[in-house]
Amino acid sequence: MTMIRMSNIHKYFGKLQVLKGVSLEVNKGEIISIIGPSGSGKSTLLRCMNQLEKIDQGIVEIEGIVVEAAGDKEAKIVATPQEVKKAYRKMGMVFQSFNLFPHMTALGNVIEAPMLVNKASKDDALKIAEKQLAKVGLLEKKDAFPSKLSGGQKQRVAIARALAMNPDIMLFDEPTSALDPELIGEVLSVIKNLAQEHMTMLIVTHEMGFAKEISDRVIFMDDGKILEDSNPIDFFDSPRHPRIKTFLEKML
Amino acid sequence: MDHMEYVLSILPFIASGLKLTAKIYVATLIFALPVGLLAAIGKVRGPKIITKILYLYTWIWRGTPLLLQLFFMFYGLPIIGIRLSPFAAATITYTLNSGAYLTEIFRGGIESIDKGQYEAAKALGMTYSQTMRRIIIPQTVRRVLPPTCSEAVNLVKETALLAVIGMPDLLRIATQIFTRDFNITPFIVAFVLYLIISSVLVRLFSTLEKKYSIYE
Repeated sequence: MTMIRMSNIHKYFGKLQVLKGVSLEVNKGEIISIIGPSGSGKSTLLRCMNQLEKIDQGIVEIEGIVVEAAGDKEAKIVATPQEVKKAYRKMGMVFQSFNLFPHMTALGNVIEAPMLVNKASKDDALKIAEKQLAKVGLLEKKDAFPSKLSGGQKQRVAIARALAMNPDIMLFDEPTSALDPELIGEVLSVIKNLAQEHMTMLIVTHEMGFAKEISDRVIFMDDGKILEDSNPIDFFDSPRHPRIKTFLEKML
Repeated sequence: MDHMEYVLSILPFIASGLKLTAKIYVATLIFALPVGLLAAIGKVRGPKIITKILYLYTWIWRGTPLLLQLFFMFYGLPIIGIRLSPFAAATITYTLNSGAYLTEIFRGGIESIDKGQYEAAKALGMTYSQTMRRIIIPQTVRRVLPPTCSEAVNLVKETALLAVIGMPDLLRIATQIFTRDFNITPFIVAFVLYLIISSVLVRLFSTLEKKYSIYE
């Protein structure tokens, strides 16, 4: 089953074109790492999937529903706004800078969206939240405010917050880039646990070892285009493209 | 006459002035806070025409003397046929003036909230109004408490301009007693009362600040 289909996506920031006709299909249960030099459009591609960036041309489909279409007369959104909203809700996102709500405790962060968006009762939301916090190993920190948590703990709460909405797809935008080296492991191990549950995931990352270990597919982006889309063994052990070779040499 | 007895004898008059000052002050705050908040949101996110009107509003009301604004409301509006009670005219003027300052205070506060907060809320499926109500405004409140406190204290002192346009506020009553008795005691009493009100406000705001700081 195709979870996300992006067709011929173009995106400009002012005059600068950051995505130059990117097409991508994500199947159910796939774990895809997106790597590449900074400024290559990796994060923008991810952000175009859940409307954090508006596309200038192309089509975005989530689980068969066209949620965004631009620049082409034939591409149209036929779903109702409710259906589009529902489709977007199937995606959870984790940010490089965590973006926890600082005025709420860890628990408050996790119960907020289930109650506000899904209209869950407080009891149900608490149950969901405690389950998710336990899953990321932070149940004992549930009453702590984000300012009292380490970077790794913050990111784990952020993952629990996204999971509490029961998404089918998780988007990770450089989830460990803002962390001290000794805190990266705890976040990666939470993501690995999700992989074992066959969560569909897209991960923009600079952690090459992690990408190689966890991914079903590795996508290499360069200058707003997908340069390579292959399995991790071929990608890391025998990169075909000289650009990728140089990039990997620099990273390792 | 004994000094203390004199103070007690003027207190009923003083109290009537204090009552008017307090009434206008409280009415102004009740109206100006929502005016400031809504105008700030309008300035941050409203359609262009709304933004322009609000820009005009804060430009004019922050850029001219409050006393002149009171003159227009009290002496100007009747000329074009609008007759308001003195209380209404005063409350409207103070509300629009204070509202303009609060608009800028709140706008600055809202704009100081990290963009990532909106993105996280959006990624969780929250609508814009849910995001404002639950995520942005509560964080803004904490940040704008100190400048809002200044504005609240300023407003106490600005109510004294009511005396100039002839409303029997605290200062006006004190002045009347002074002219009657040629004794500066009423001024001293007014002085102390203004100081007490300001101090209570400052205390109140620092309590609020503490309450909102628990997450820092």
